[in-house]
Amino acid sequence: MYADRLLIIFIVGAYLLSPAIIEWWSDGGRAWYRPYMMWLLLIALCYWISRGRDDARRRGRS
Amino acid sequence: MFSFTQVFLVAVGYLLFLFLVAWITDRGKLPARLVRHPAVYVFSLGVYASAWAIYGSVGYAYHYGYNFLAYFLGISGVFMLAPILLAPILRLTSTHQLSSLADLFAFRYRSRVAGAMTTLMMLAGMLPLLALQIKAVAESIQILTGESDPGGLAFWFCLLITLFAILFGARHATAREKHEGLVVAIAMESLIKVVAFGLLAVLALYNVFDGPAGLNTWLTDNPDALARLYYPLQDGTWHSMILAFFVSAVVMPHMFHMAFSENLNPRALMTASWGLPLLLLVMALCIPVILWAAAAARVDGLPDYYALAVGSLSGGHGAMLAYIAGLAGASGMLIVATLALSSMTLNHLVLPARTRPLDERLYRWLLWARRLLIAGILTLAYVFYAIAGDHHTLTELAVLSFVATLQFVPGLIGALFWPGGNRVGLFAGLLTGFSLWVLALLVPMVVPHWQPSLLFDLLGISHQSTAHQWHHVAIASVVANGLIFALFSLLSPTSQAERSAADTCTVDSLRRPFRWELETETADDFIIALSEPLGPVTAEREVQLALRDLNQTRSESRPYALRRLRDQLETNLSGLLGPSVAQRIVDEHLPYKPQAEHESSEDIQFIESRLELYRDRMSGLAAELDSLRRFHRQTLLELPMGVISLGADGEIIGWNLAMEHLTGINAQRTIGARLNTLPRPWSTVFSEFAQGEALRQPQVEASWRGAIRWLSLHKSEVAGTLPGERAGGQVIVVEDITDLRALEAQLTHSERLASIGRLAAGVAHEIGNPVTAIACLAQNMEHPASEDEIIQAASQIMEQTRRISRIVESLVTFSHSGGVVAAVQGPVSLRDTVDEAISLLQMDPDHRQQRFINDCAADHLVRGDSQRLLQVFVNLLSNAADATDDNDPITVRSTAQDERLEVTVEDNGHGIAAELMNSLFEPFVTSKPAGRGTGLGLALVYSIIEDHFGSIRAESPVANGRGTRFVITLPGYW
Repeated sequence: MYADRLLIIFIVGAYLLSPAIIEWWSDGGRAWYRPYMMWLLLIALCYWISRGRDDARRRGRS
Repeated sequence: MFSFTQVFLVAVGYLLFLFLVAWITDRGKLPARLVRHPAVYVFSLGVYASAWAIYGSVGYAYHYGYNFLAYFLGISGVFMLAPILLAPILRLTSTHQLSSLADLFAFRYRSRVAGAMTTLMMLAGMLPLLALQIKAVAESIQILTGESDPGGLAFWFCLLITLFAILFGARHATAREKHEGLVVAIAMESLIKVVAFGLLAVLALYNVFDGPAGLNTWLTDNPDALARLYYPLQDGTWHSMILAFFVSAVVMPHMFHMAFSENLNPRALMTASWGLPLLLLVMALCIPVILWAAAAARVDGLPDYYALAVGSLSGGHGAMLAYIAGLAGASGMLIVATLALSSMTLNHLVLPARTRPLDERLYRWLLWARRLLIAGILTLAYVFYAIAGDHHTLTELAVLSFVATLQFVPGLIGALFWPGGNRVGLFAGLLTGFSLWVLALLVPMVVPHWQPSLLFDLLGISHQSTAHQWHHVAIASVVANGLIFALFSLLSPTSQAERSAADTCTVDSLRRPFRWELETETADDFIIALSEPLGPVTAEREVQLALRDLNQTRSESRPYALRRLRDQLETNLSGLLGPSVAQRIVDEHLPYKPQAEHESSEDIQFIESRLELYRDRMSGLAAELDSLRRFHRQTLLELPMGVISLGADGEIIGWNLAMEHLTGINAQRTIGARLNTLPRPWSTVFSEFAQGEALRQPQVEASWRGAIRWLSLHKSEVAGTLPGERAGGQVIVVEDITDLRALEAQLTHSERLASIGRLAAGVAHEIGNPVTAIACLAQNMEHPASEDEIIQAASQIMEQTRRISRIVESLVTFSHSGGVVAAVQGPVSLRDTVDEAISLLQMDPDHRQQRFINDCAADHLVRGDSQRLLQVFVNLLSNAADATDDNDPITVRSTAQDERLEVTVEDNGHGIAAELMNSLFEPFVTSKPAGRGTGLGLALVYSIIEDHFGSIRAESPVANGRGTRFVITLPGYW
């Protein structure tokens, strides 16, 4: 159902965006930390989603 | 340079510290909140970063630049998608107590061979990674001490690890017990590893570059260092590498074990979705700094051990930090992977091959078998290291394992997302993938001159070094594996058991196969049945445990509850003996009754529980449909009338709140039971009605808790609506009419009194005539002509007086009858009763001219209460008279039928409207104008006839669109 859809969107999205991301990453020059910044951004996004789920669960319980 | 004793003592001290942490945790000295804290889970997952992450990844970055990030980003991606990818696996493994990938495959593909094949291949695939850890620790000690014999160092290290794994990882026989001590110890290892590695990078940054600004300056001065990092990104291997690390991360036994088998808190998985990527980010950030520090300081030696060399630049403590980080990575991975592999080997290779029956010594035997297997697997890893370890880099060994574990991915995707995948496809896919791995990677690595030209050309590998082109093998083998898996699955038949397991495993699948009936009928039968394979003590213990898990009692006999008990037993035995042996025991000793597939029904309870579980995961149309389902369910649940829903096999699948209130029986206790197993009187009342042909019973008596309750029952057949569901289910609606019945009795009495009033005028007239006659006779007697005249007058007066008495007596008995259920008496002459009813009615001026014909035979007697039967005929004849013209006759006729008498009351009136026919005998149903009828007459008639064990039905019209005929059947008095 929706989980499959999300997975497919993610995989297709990652596949389509990956050349652009790799190019941007390779053009980093001295900004060698670019992939780490992107990685950190994804972590922040996951943290935000996880917090949202926790809040929703707490609201559901109360 | 350190002495061997110093380095060895650090290793022993470090492992003793871990022993202490695990021991304190197992003793409960640490608060449960801390042990179950999501951070502990996240750090325990850090076991992924083995010695290769500390040593090998620096070497990998030296050779392949930024491609080293694939190792960290791959698994980070998996965990970022944890709610979609990992949560279903966690749910499956915890629900069915599956402790490894082999368990999952054996459960999903219903095949012992699948479990055994997975175990063997996993063992073969993991040996290089285990050997890598041993090699990393042995060589790091060699570098630090200058010892010449790393093999001897490796041996002592293996011995220490074996002891730790046995003491803290193999303390429980069953997978249902979590190893909290082990989890906390591994989490501590990860913490030490990250801190030590991080400190090493900081030391390198400040000692070699004088801080971040110095590093920037050095990078500006040495653009080649950056270019070497970026350059490999362009060669196109990045995609295949990230895919390989993405999918193999979860399949590896140590990750599967820590992520799923040792998960103490399911919600911690959500924390891990950002926590583990953050942990790995910190580690990955250290690698380029260490690499550049090594380049800036121009250190010698293998790039794999740059961490040690860079540490040495900061003095002994720096080198020791690198050594401890590597030791932590290696020991953690070795311990967890060995434990996981030992469980797999025990469940899928040793136990299925055991021919002796299991008995009460089972738990002890299992523990010792597991301990021996741990020692055996570590011995194998040591042997592999001794044979192949010296000739290959850490990266080559790691690659060998990663590509091997990649082969399980098509099977795992099939298990979670494709119910069409079957065991034939799995076997064919695995064999293909592993054959390619063995031929293109393993054999060329162990036997250097082995170069199958045809295969290499096919895979696009140059003949110089296969290890450096491993991504070609990885992609080719996994694609071939997946294609063969799909092809063979589509072309081969899938067994019913496998389809059932596929439905259980598939993400978001709600289908559940059928409700089959077990041959065992109680929990005690389960113990007897399981005593043969498990021994009586173990059988008793396991059944008690399963009953406790389900919160059921030993007296449980509901088919639904017994099916749940069987599932729970299979789950628990799966945790103890592995799914293959558990399936075999349960299938052989707790079988279902032979039953055709179309004779069974979908397990609606299961579907509902799954829907509840998935509630917060639904969106869009699915969520809307679920809301609609909940609305209908709640409506049914809170309907003020009792509703029982029965499956085609007679099992109760619905029991609403009104039923709970009416019967005092909780829905939890009735769901899955059969009607005849309910407490009395409900078992009799409902099962007789469900089995009978009548679609309604307006008044059924049930004596419950010392009081009489009156119920009105209706039922209708429900067609099967779910796929595979057969028709034949029923829905029974139960209305409690006890209060209505009491009201009805009161109103009946009132109506009787009212009818007495109506009759009063007629009675006065009836009595007036004889009184006038008596007065005349009395006047004549004042002047008698003769004595004969006096005697004749006296006789006539007495006759008139008897007539008055009879009238009064009839009136009194009529007003007193009804309201109270009288015991059936007898005999009653139908003819006399009808005559009396006619004479009573003819007292009413409205009916005086009515033609009544009594054709009842004089010898037709029934057993009953004459006054109540009188009431029946008064009501029926009165109704007939109201509907008929005076000239039209109303006929009462009796006929004998076997041992019963049939009485018909027939008129030629206007008949009864068709819409009233179905509810004719219900209270307050009348066709008379307002104020004329109370609607209680026929309800009273029905009630009296039922009390006399008879039946009544109405037919209208009788002929030419007119007339009504009531047919009463009563037991004859012979």
